[in-house]
Amino acid sequence: MIRYAIRRIPSALLVLFLASIAVFALIHLAKGDPAALAAGPDASPAEIAAKRHQLGLDDSLASQYLNWLRGELTGDLGNAYISGGSIGELVRNGLGNTVELTSGAVVLALALGGAAGMGMGVSRRRPVNAVLNALTTLAFAVPTYVSGVLLVLVLAVIFPILPAGGHESLLRDPTIGVQYLIMPALCLSLPAAATIARFLATSMRQVLDEDFLATGVAKGLKTRRLLFRHALPNALPPVLTIVGIQIGQMLGGAIVVEAIFAWPGVGQLLRDSVLDHEYLIVQDLLLFAVAVFIVLQMITDLVHAYIDPRIRTEH
Amino acid sequence: MATLNVAAPMPVTPRQHRIRWLFGSPIATAGIAVVVTLFAAGLLAPQLAPFPPNGQTNAALQGASTTHLLGTDEFGRDVLSRILYGIRQDAIVAVVSVPAGALLGVSLGLLTGLAGWLDTILQRIFDVMLAFTALIAGVTVASIVGPGLPAVLVTVAVVNVPLFGRITRTSVLTLRNRDYVVAARVVGVRPIRLLVRHVLPNGVDPLIVQLALSLSLAVFIEGAMSFISLGVLLPQPSLGNMLQKSINYLDRNPWYAIGPMVVVTLLVVGFQLIADGLTHRLLRR
Repeated sequence: MIRYAIRRIPSALLVLFLASIAVFALIHLAKGDPAALAAGPDASPAEIAAKRHQLGLDDSLASQYLNWLRGELTGDLGNAYISGGSIGELVRNGLGNTVELTSGAVVLALALGGAAGMGMGVSRRRPVNAVLNALTTLAFAVPTYVSGVLLVLVLAVIFPILPAGGHESLLRDPTIGVQYLIMPALCLSLPAAATIARFLATSMRQVLDEDFLATGVAKGLKTRRLLFRHALPNALPPVLTIVGIQIGQMLGGAIVVEAIFAWPGVGQLLRDSVLDHEYLIVQDLLLFAVAVFIVLQMITDLVHAYIDPRIRTEH
Repeated sequence: MATLNVAAPMPVTPRQHRIRWLFGSPIATAGIAVVVTLFAAGLLAPQLAPFPPNGQTNAALQGASTTHLLGTDEFGRDVLSRILYGIRQDAIVAVVSVPAGALLGVSLGLLTGLAGWLDTILQRIFDVMLAFTALIAGVTVASIVGPGLPAVLVTVAVVNVPLFGRITRTSVLTLRNRDYVVAARVVGVRPIRLLVRHVLPNGVDPLIVQLALSLSLAVFIEGAMSFISLGVLLPQPSLGNMLQKSINYLDRNPWYAIGPMVVVTLLVVGFQLIADGLTHRLLRR
């Protein structure tokens, strides 16, 4: 296991390192001069040059990159170019809300996807399977910006039982907070739930055909015990992989979901920063999103290898 | 009587074979019908649309009526007409970006077969590109080239490169030790010709399935980027930016939202159905 980890972790770090260079280089390709934007529309060339020096934009690209990386690693994100605000504070404020949203979505995705997947994998009745199949196909394909607007239309406008948007911290007021959380979390969870359901169903069907389950039936195990103690654990490893990838993608999905429900998270911050040309914030958040994806993928691989020893000996 | 001779079946070319597979699947046929109808409606928007897409009137946010089948938006513009013109943005992305990304991806995927070191480098490049999930890639591109349709076009192309690259690489790996490829190599076929003329044609089935999935993804990305103001810019209509605005007026004219929602869903699901049908037929899964 440790040997596998030693092989797997460096390649993830390499990809992360390459991705950080890509983010840095790409944002420096952006048109528009951050120093001129930061100095304001009426600034003289001398003032712009002074601003450029102050922001460290006249250093060599290599030293700018290293300074940026050092800041990222030590948690000192610096100040926004134009507004001058502390990026660390902006990101911390948004991140808590986004974590709240994605956690809610992950819980819902596991619950809905798990139930639908077990239903599809176990049920031999055609109508049940057909309905669940159609539902997962829809949930998988319908974009969040469609399901989200539909949720608002049905649950906030036609039947006004939930707020159409906004946010209240779960920690401060749980009963109100949950009302704000339900729709965005459900919206973000649907594609992941559908994917989990499909993988679980396929995996369950394969496991149910195995001989050891026939043995279990023969020696008179109860159906529930057979399914949850014998079949499910053997069906989980491939599902786990897909769960990791789905969570990794949620940060991207959160950008849209936060926009629908006016949820004050990092997705909104990222979108606004692009529109406001706050390149340093964009750079930080892009690296963060990419890093989350890569790290989650790596953890998923390690957990997968831990559960399923066959993975370790491949290659 | 014994001369009731059944004509020998016409030999079927691989292409005819494939077309039959495509239409032999009812779900794929349904998907094709939906997608072709909608894109045709978008293409014929100047003829079909009852009103100009940007014609403002005083009749803002009217509900559905016989003059405005889906009502009007906040500037009194006809929603149906704007939807028809909005479909065009998706058609452009589908026709321009998906083939561009696919072509680049397939080329890079073939290159992995030339040398081990090239394979290693390209694998890492694909890994880095895949770490930028679709919308994160969209934000990155929009911050470089600025919000607008060009950002959507670039994003969709870029996102597709590693998808097609990986699939092509898998085909190269599995096919290059087949007897016929080895035989071709033995008689002196050059590496590039070997890959393009001998390996690629036999690895084309999974690429066709991916093409359908990528078209679905393209519609999704256009809508998402336009929804968060990084894609097609107003007043130019697109399904995504219409949905973004409609959310403020759901109580006044719900058709403003329902129209684009139905069209986006039909397009995305339509391409998915084509992909599902093709998967059954071509990949026999």
